[in-house]
Amino acid sequence: MLKVKRDKLPQVLSLWSEEAVVYTPQEENGVSTFRPWTGQAELNFKPGSTVVPPKELFFPRTEEMYRYRVEGQAAFLEELPLPQEKRVLVGIRSCDARSLLLLDEVFLSKGYVDEFYRTRRENTLVVALACREPLDTCFCTSLGVDPGRAEGVDIQAWETEDGYLLEATSEGGKALLEKAGDLLTDVSEEPPAGVRPRLEVDLEGVTEKLQRMFEHPFWDDLWHKCIGCAACTFLCPTCHCFDIQSENRGNLGFKFRCWDSCMFPEYTRMAGGHNPRPTRKERVRNRILHKFQYFPERYGRLGCVGCGRCLDRCPVHMDITQIIQAIKEVALDG
Amino acid sequence: MRARAQELLEKGEVKWVIGWEKGSLWYHSSPAFIRRPEEVERLIWDDFCANNLAKYLLDFTQLEGKVALFVKGCDSKGINRLLQDQQIEREKVYIIGITCPGVRDGRKAQGKGPEALETIPVEERCTFCTHPEPVVYDEVIDTGEKLPGRGEKEPQDRFTEVERLLALHPDERYEFWAKQYERCLRCYACRNICPACNCRECIFDRSQSGWCSKRIIKTENEFYGLTRALHVAGRCIECGECERVCPVGIPIMSLHRKIIKDLNELFGPYEAGLDTETPPPLGTYRTEDPDYFV
Repeated sequence: MLKVKRDKLPQVLSLWSEEAVVYTPQEENGVSTFRPWTGQAELNFKPGSTVVPPKELFFPRTEEMYRYRVEGQAAFLEELPLPQEKRVLVGIRSCDARSLLLLDEVFLSKGYVDEFYRTRRENTLVVALACREPLDTCFCTSLGVDPGRAEGVDIQAWETEDGYLLEATSEGGKALLEKAGDLLTDVSEEPPAGVRPRLEVDLEGVTEKLQRMFEHPFWDDLWHKCIGCAACTFLCPTCHCFDIQSENRGNLGFKFRCWDSCMFPEYTRMAGGHNPRPTRKERVRNRILHKFQYFPERYGRLGCVGCGRCLDRCPVHMDITQIIQAIKEVALDG
Repeated sequence: MRARAQELLEKGEVKWVIGWEKGSLWYHSSPAFIRRPEEVERLIWDDFCANNLAKYLLDFTQLEGKVALFVKGCDSKGINRLLQDQQIEREKVYIIGITCPGVRDGRKAQGKGPEALETIPVEERCTFCTHPEPVVYDEVIDTGEKLPGRGEKEPQDRFTEVERLLALHPDERYEFWAKQYERCLRCYACRNICPACNCRECIFDRSQSGWCSKRIIKTENEFYGLTRALHVAGRCIECGECERVCPVGIPIMSLHRKIIKDLNELFGPYEAGLDTETPPPLGTYRTEDPDYFV
């Protein structure tokens, strides 16, 4: 196994920076997010995942899709160049690595490929870092995520006392390690096992149960505490809803898409004013059903990765693990 | 608390009781909605009952019958906010006040066990607390407790950060706020938790109004933040919930406190939510009001 000493890691990142923008977790006002690494010697690999998930590197909060202009009776469309930036994303956790695989399903499968997402994804190499210490709100193992080894990444890294063990898991990852050259040494150390989070929830049979619960009175009591903000959905690494709107100035304009949330009343408001999800009850139900029923029905796996961001940052501590537990306890007739 | 909740529900005096219940972590206490006497066991009171429950009354305006809710000192100002804004009817609410010992900052308990309880400081807002006892209530439960740090600072000290920002060069100050609002996700947690944000429909829920784009970018985020700050100007009860719930740590109260400081200087000292009679400074007109800007 290859290893880089802790103080040598910035040099490795520096070499990778020659051909790509390296993103690392960085903190501002206690809020961590992935930002371009600009040579900082101190790397901020704190326990757990970043507050803001890495999804925005592939599916930005807001992006222009195309521009247009009108001249007299004629309209002209202007395609925008696809994102070109080559990236190396360093330090994502197993939960977020899983989330990228789930987003791939949404943006790349079922016959439609989202070119914006695809180019960013293809231009990015992912270096995962195993978890040594879970946060109180982590429950990844309940979703079958291994905190000690991520899926679908290019390099798996493990933090040790004095450095990082590195294992390439794709051709792209091998090339990155080769580029690091002499900075890496061959060692016989075994990677440490991932540490199981304390919080656990049993998801066995939840999808099947929810399929029979759409009209259940369970939802009548659940929504009261939800204040209808989008902290959960915007911080969720797998929530992927967006709105498309346009902005016009004179005879020029552009279409953009931006994150949207099923927690917002406007999300389902129709042109005539009717809203099929008129209250927070229907919206909360939708969020739960999307993660644990609709997503598995469409893609064959649960739409949650157990990162715990929603229960960490919810203004009223709506707790998805408690909600799942309560669903398990609901008695259904027949 | 449980006994009173049970009694009120059993006698049919109220249809619902709003209090707090325990979340799955020892430092998470979460709003609880109780409608059956046998559910009162869920109710708890501990050092982490930070949520201001007043805003939830807006969900019960169509209810036939009363709602009981528990309020701390600052929460009770939220009740007055809603009353003065004519959003709720006083006779439909049964207010059980709690003399508040202060609440601890749950975020600072992360990664620690319950044995660390005593080391968790109170929320910053509690250090400036002037009203641990509710300002409006039907009955009061006196906890007789006071956590270390509650009210330890002078009320004037809450403007320290505002003064620091005012001392910056305008470009630096803009830089400061631009950086904060660049992080803003436009999740609207600050608005939705705020008892002063009680419009039936918010302008920001009409994304094609033409006023503010739905694009989640710095300038539009700033427009949102400023609009909300000005909309609650003179009505902000300083419960600090907006800043507490912001998932990306924007120091929203510094914006509100700047406005409060200005209002105090322009129109005389005023604390919103203490009663329902004194009109908010921007909701009234006096001939001696300053008019140099007209």
